[in-house]
Amino acid sequence: MLTLGPLVFATPWLLLALGILPLIYWLLRVTPPAPRLLRFPAIRLLYDLTAREETPDRTPWWLLLMRLALAAMIILALARPLLNPGADLPGSGPVLLVVDNGWAAARDWPARRRQLEQVIDRADREGRRLIVLPTAARVPGERPEPSGLLRPAEARGLMETLTPVPWPTDRGAALAALRDLRLEGSAHAVWLTDGLDDDAVVPLAQRLQRLGSAEIVLPSAAQSPHLLHPPAAAGAELIARIRRVEGLDGPTGPVWLRVTAGDGRLLHRQQIAFEAGETVAEAPIDLPVELRNQAIRLEIEGETTAGAVALLDERWRRRPVGLIGAGAERAPQPLLTEMHYLGRALEPYSEVRLGEVLDLLESRVAVMVLPDTGGLTTEDRTAIDDWIAEGGVLVRFAGPLLAANPDPLVPVRLRYGDRVLTGTLSWTEPMPLATFDEDSPFHGLAVPPEVLIERQVLAEPSLDLAGKTWARLADGTPLVTAERRGPDGRGGWLVLVHTTAGPEWSNLPISGLFVDMLRRIVAMSEGIAGDGGTRTLKPLLLLDGLGRLVAPGATAVPIQAGGLAEARVGPEHPPGFYGTEEARRALNLGGSVETMRRLQDLPGGVAVSDYAPRGEIDLMPWLLAVALAVAVLDMAIAMALRGLFAVPVRRAAGTAAIVVVALAGGLFPAPAARAQMGDEMAIEAANGTYLAYVVTGLRQVDEVSQAGLDGLSAVLFARTAVEAEGAIGVDVAVDELAFFPLLYWPVLPEQAALSEATIDRLNDYLRNGGTILFDTRDQALGGGTSGPGAQRLRTLTEGLDIPPLEPVPPDHVLTKAFYLMQDFPGRYAGGPLWVENARERVNDGVSSVIIGANDWASAWAVSASGAPSFPVVPGGEQQREMAYRFGVNLVMYTLTGNYKADQVHVPAILERLGQ
Amino acid sequence: MDSDRQTTRQRAEALVSTVPPLLVAAERVAATVAQGVHGRRRVGTGESFWQFRQYQQGDPIQRIDWRQTAKTDTVYIRELEWEAAQTIWLWRDASPSMDYRSRRDLPSKRERAEILLLALAILLSRGGERMALLGGGHMATTGQVAVNRILQAFESSADTTGTDADGLPGSEDVPRHGELVMIGDLLSPLEAIDKMVGRYVNRGVRGHMLQILDSTEVTLPFGGRVRFAGFEGERETLIPRVESIREAYLDRLQAQQDGLRALCRSAGWTFSTHCTDNSPQTALLSLYAALSQEPVDQPDARVPAAGG
Repeated sequence: MLTLGPLVFATPWLLLALGILPLIYWLLRVTPPAPRLLRFPAIRLLYDLTAREETPDRTPWWLLLMRLALAAMIILALARPLLNPGADLPGSGPVLLVVDNGWAAARDWPARRRQLEQVIDRADREGRRLIVLPTAARVPGERPEPSGLLRPAEARGLMETLTPVPWPTDRGAALAALRDLRLEGSAHAVWLTDGLDDDAVVPLAQRLQRLGSAEIVLPSAAQSPHLLHPPAAAGAELIARIRRVEGLDGPTGPVWLRVTAGDGRLLHRQQIAFEAGETVAEAPIDLPVELRNQAIRLEIEGETTAGAVALLDERWRRRPVGLIGAGAERAPQPLLTEMHYLGRALEPYSEVRLGEVLDLLESRVAVMVLPDTGGLTTEDRTAIDDWIAEGGVLVRFAGPLLAANPDPLVPVRLRYGDRVLTGTLSWTEPMPLATFDEDSPFHGLAVPPEVLIERQVLAEPSLDLAGKTWARLADGTPLVTAERRGPDGRGGWLVLVHTTAGPEWSNLPISGLFVDMLRRIVAMSEGIAGDGGTRTLKPLLLLDGLGRLVAPGATAVPIQAGGLAEARVGPEHPPGFYGTEEARRALNLGGSVETMRRLQDLPGGVAVSDYAPRGEIDLMPWLLAVALAVAVLDMAIAMALRGLFAVPVRRAAGTAAIVVVALAGGLFPAPAARAQMGDEMAIEAANGTYLAYVVTGLRQVDEVSQAGLDGLSAVLFARTAVEAEGAIGVDVAVDELAFFPLLYWPVLPEQAALSEATIDRLNDYLRNGGTILFDTRDQALGGGTSGPGAQRLRTLTEGLDIPPLEPVPPDHVLTKAFYLMQDFPGRYAGGPLWVENARERVNDGVSSVIIGANDWASAWAVSASGAPSFPVVPGGEQQREMAYRFGVNLVMYTLTGNYKADQVHVPAILERLGQ
Repeated sequence: MDSDRQTTRQRAEALVSTVPPLLVAAERVAATVAQGVHGRRRVGTGESFWQFRQYQQGDPIQRIDWRQTAKTDTVYIRELEWEAAQTIWLWRDASPSMDYRSRRDLPSKRERAEILLLALAILLSRGGERMALLGGGHMATTGQVAVNRILQAFESSADTTGTDADGLPGSEDVPRHGELVMIGDLLSPLEAIDKMVGRYVNRGVRGHMLQILDSTEVTLPFGGRVRFAGFEGERETLIPRVESIREAYLDRLQAQQDGLRALCRSAGWTFSTHCTDNSPQTALLSLYAALSQEPVDQPDARVPAAGG
């Protein structure tokens, strides 16, 4: 190691290579740049030309300097310069790395990783071996074991696989493992702690000290973990409970609690602050009851430990309530049935299921409500008895049926018949309720005076009647009685309300008190506690050390259902969900951590540091990166000097601009710009006569088509009654063709084949009176049917319904639609024009397809100044005139059809008339 | 390729669209000069009327126009317009060195040569002249057929039709008293060119040379250390500093052109040069002038027919 202020070279002997720089300088100096190669036709004139001055080109000084800097940079980089390096590790023996990888270490795992890397880097530079000892077991039955002597590279590999585990550390076992460790030389031990104290801390630190020297790394107070306990359910509310580490120096800030649903949605976020001096903060979770059932996970925001996550299962959910007696909604007066009132009272706070007794038991409800209307069979009663014994709660309402034949499924013995508190033959008035006793579950609910009971069933007086009574009338008559049933009083409840659930006997069901009473009863239930205690719960989804839910590994062990409450989190039972998808139970780390005390009282002589980054920077990659950039630059300069960038810069910029524009054009191709011929264009096309041409995609051709049809439009406007507005380019695959009487179609050899849909559209167009002029533009190449355009046309029109064609006969309408003509020249003359055989009588004998090769658009095309754009061959301006005349005839033909053909018969008709 | 062929032709057509049809001045009346379709604006054998002139001693009596003579006192001879066509042989250098262009926006020398040749052919076909590509293997013909044949020859034989190793016309026969148009870079040794010209002059062939050069060949704008390579397997040469030999190169080029000019003058041929960064129009006009042997802007010199 060579030290220059804050800079240290790890392999300083490589700096000797700087001595070869003068040699490189000399070599670069004497070698002229390579000549560039030029191909030149007039080379013969260059032979043996002697220059007047012969000064060979030399490498420019700045290039020389750059290359020397490049070489120097590579040499410096290979010498591994380090900025702000850590001090040397004490001792000469191996380096022992003790790593706390329990749940609390996940609080700031990347900082731990960084620390580990730095220790390994330092050991690497000093050539020392390493021993790694994690303090938490990773699989059941394993004890923390120190690794053998590792080379730094192996230690790095081991470190990559080291992750925090979601259970506490086992430092006692780590200490035991260290007892047997014998090392040569004085080792240096580095203990990366998670900051939590336990009994084994002091012995372990002393043991490490005895191996040589020890350094203990403690997390700062801000990095100490919080522990989230499973929330307690208090009535309808959940109480979150968060614990922080005891013995921290200063106060810690508030934490944010997040409640998320199964699909990861954030349901709720809430701040919870710690009172000064308190280590536990509790706060009710302010969650609307509708959302509460969706919550499966509570977590402390920003902390990625298994302890900062509490998973929720059925026990924290709203209870499903079964309402016995299906079919009541079909009763004649559904608004007066008991089912209606019960349903309305229960639905806002519970999940209500309707059904018969056995179905409801099957679906594992927590509470069942039995109105008077529901008759029970003996079988039902036995099943309900068993269910109550397991923890179910049955709420029963009295009524005329029960009054007439009381059955045993009641908490108290009932008198036969009912008590009527009102009526013409009664002295008593309807009676209000008394205030609830302190030991009643309804204690605290306000009793509205307007709630009056008119009729009720009466309990037989007995010794325990008072103990079983939850609510009374003002005169002390029991109104709600309940009994806990089941083995040694641990089962569920059987509750009887001595009046009806409907408005027949009282107005209680239409009061808010009714709703509150039902809520209180439902809250007493245990949830679906029906797991018999012997079932095993298999691991379903487990938390990993960073608080993520993952599929369980092979090492997690199932839990007995009854033992879940007592199960301790550890390698056998990682926190997470157990059971099946339908009925899963959560095991949380919070219940298994008793103490969280700050690690302190370390033995003297132990160096203590923290996880703050050391700021050591290895300059090698940066230097190499700069050297690479300089090398690329040098190559570019060398190529430029040799003339390999032939394109001058200004033109390159132009090219770049063209490329950019072309790319932009590619990104927003023509169809997007044309946007499928919007309504506006359709209206315009329908409001005038437009000549249409097929857009081929080849710009020159399309421009000629546009100019040609524009020129023809001008001629039509000047000479005929056709007031053509101009030319429109159409895409046959997209645009509506119905507006155009004539479609001019220049055929290119490069044109893509038509799709099925396009061919259908074209056939439609032709059937409905459209005309297409195919121009193969082959005449310059000899015309005929062998030209490239004609060959392309043959494949292009493969699916089109084209009747047999023939060359234009001398008496065809095209020869006399406006002008009399027999030839149809365009830019070139002489090519035949093919039309449909008139005898086919399709379209009333008007040819829907006209094919020629004379490149008419070029002949019609005029420039902006009105001059013809292209010469016509061979005939000169007379030929152009004839080309225009053909255009006029063609448009007339497409617009008027065979009108002129009829005139052929005029002499014959006149002759007949004359007779 | 077909569309390339078409555009070459169309560019040639655009080039000639402002030039009247070319009538080659035919000086030597010979057997090889076939009967043409157009008048030569002078007296000769033909079918259309040219002028009446007074009978002179020695005129055959059969040529007296009796109807005209009967109107007046003088005896008139009816003279017809001389209708004849000249045969033009066209040649362009097809050697690989012609495929050179210094900038992408310039045409190669070969493209320029072919456009000029084609434009000339179109003009000749309008004038009704007979023509053929030298070495193309076809008889001289008139009209569009000849143009198409030349076009096809350009297209189909991208090899070296009618061009020998020196980049000069091969030893194909040109019938006596024909006309030859040569377009090429003409950078071969002057002795070889001299020999070739002598061969044709001996057969009474009249020639027109157009030297086409790229702009870099005219200016040698390179600098620094350059290794030059040729197009036709010439040996490479390394120039340490091109700037230092530019003067010498330009002198040599000048000497070559002077030699060519002197050679043509002595053979009675015409010589002109053309650089590809100039408009082809000027080169075409100079060829036109050389072939028609009349100033390009000369007004129509036809003498109105007396008594017409």
